[in-house]
Amino acid sequence: MRWRSAAGLGAVILLAVVLAALLAPLSGYDLVTDVDPGRAHLGLSLAHPLGTDHLGRDVRWRLVFASRAFAGPGLLAAAVAGLLGTLGGALGGYRGGPLAGSARYLYAVIGSIPRFVLVLLVGSVYGDSPWVLALVVGLSYAPALGEALHSRVASLRRAEFVRAGRAYGLSDARILWVHLVWYASRALIGRHLLAVFGYYVVLESTLAYIGGFGVQEPMPSWGNMLVFEWGRGQWLALLAPAAALWLVVSATRWLADALEDPLDV
Amino acid sequence: MRIQGGSALLRALLARAGVLVAVLLGAVVLVVSLVHLAPGDALDAQGIPEALRPALEARWHLDLPVWQRVAIHLGEVLSGDLGTSLAYRPGTPVAEVILGPARRSAVWLFSALALTLTWGTALALYTAGRASAHRVALRTVSILPVFLLAHLSVNALNEGAFAAMNAGWIDRPDWFALPDQASALRTALAVVLLAVGSGGLTEVHAAMERAVTSARRSPWAEAALARGEPLAPHLWRHLLLALTDLSLHRVAFLIGGLVILEKVLLLHGVGFILWDAALHRDSPVVAGITLLAAAVLAVVRLAGDALRLTLDPRLRSDP
Repeated sequence: MRWRSAAGLGAVILLAVVLAALLAPLSGYDLVTDVDPGRAHLGLSLAHPLGTDHLGRDVRWRLVFASRAFAGPGLLAAAVAGLLGTLGGALGGYRGGPLAGSARYLYAVIGSIPRFVLVLLVGSVYGDSPWVLALVVGLSYAPALGEALHSRVASLRRAEFVRAGRAYGLSDARILWVHLVWYASRALIGRHLLAVFGYYVVLESTLAYIGGFGVQEPMPSWGNMLVFEWGRGQWLALLAPAAALWLVVSATRWLADALEDPLDV
Repeated sequence: MRIQGGSALLRALLARAGVLVAVLLGAVVLVVSLVHLAPGDALDAQGIPEALRPALEARWHLDLPVWQRVAIHLGEVLSGDLGTSLAYRPGTPVAEVILGPARRSAVWLFSALALTLTWGTALALYTAGRASAHRVALRTVSILPVFLLAHLSVNALNEGAFAAMNAGWIDRPDWFALPDQASALRTALAVVLLAVGSGGLTEVHAAMERAVTSARRSPWAEAALARGEPLAPHLWRHLLLALTDLSLHRVAFLIGGLVILEKVLLLHGVGFILWDAALHRDSPVVAGITLLAAAVLAVVRLAGDALRLTLDPRLRSDP
């Protein structure tokens, strides 16, 4: 089936990117000293499978090392959004009352500020470390997940299988976390976490592309690789980071689309 | 359940407005607290000489405890005073810095919103219920982040124009070379890219396709067709509800995208100022624009709620 192939490809791409980010330092490639204008703008070759940029730096290795700029922080952002969104949404949806009201109010307040604007505010006041940006992205995505999970859990808390579970003697914690969150909502949570990761990838590249925030030269980011080759006539060095970015963002979407959720129908 | 009339609409609208005001107040508290809880202060951020520090500390209340500074700042914001710019345009009131460019940005924002909704709906009406290669093409392009779309478009336009000029086919266009030359093309490009990029057009198309398909298969549509009545008037009412929901969802994304495009395409709107003020650590300007963006979102949500409540009386009985 076509969607399964796309999902499989998406999973492979995301796994490869995370592995590349983890294993890149073992390659021994030195990002700072590998500069040789004498070999600028080389085309495809075995030594340089994606050519070189205008400073003679290997585009392949810069692409690989650039994944370190977003892989770890992107996973942290997803973890923060997952933790805050799942806790607030699930507990609020199951218990109701003032707890749910408070959580939803907090979500509404955070959600009332456009995400990118909130990132710039926090970046300007607290600094643009990737970990700070990851925290604020996670925080800003928690309302979307929390609201979705709240609605899901609230709509199911009086369902027959939940009443049956209670009659069978299951604890509230087991019903909530195992049956309502894990069995009934894991696809929903997974889709949101993939969206957070995809958003962080785009955010990091955008900040580095425009400049001033995020990763700065000589450290590579797909964003600063793009802008560095602007107007220099080397199409391979220009298109390689663009293609990589498209591939990773598409991979998160393919995988998210494949997380079928019968309760969404 | 009884469907209430005009007074119910007013009550429901007032309730929604009350919630939005409470949320906006929460946003003001959040933004002001974020600014004041940061380590260091505005003087550290601006590198002010030590000799000037005592006078400026007293003037900006930096000698007070954090909670008092937050309270004073909250009072100022709620009375409409957003403070003065520290670094972007030192000494100028923030409202003066941002209001003019904000009007320009609002025009671009709502043009892009109108374009993405119209385009997505037209495509959805065409593709709903049939196999179409448009979906794949749309997803392939629309998923690109707005900065990358802008980068590729500007490169392609510049290279194309340059080649045409070299071949003697055209004279130098007034917009050449993007994005340095101010022109109508640059503004139009920003609106189109904002409408299409970061999955915007795909999302609108997919949601409207679902709405069209479900409406066409619904019992009321079958009943209307069986009676020989035109479907369009009923369909549009149904689609307008879906469009309203989409608009509320898309506006926040479009605001973020506009900040990026203004910077990439050198359009002097409020997003351009936001970026530069953030780089200069001008927290009053950044906080002012953040609050303005939150207020715009709140107004759009209230307008959307009003439209939804008018179109669907069943929503008025919701708690």
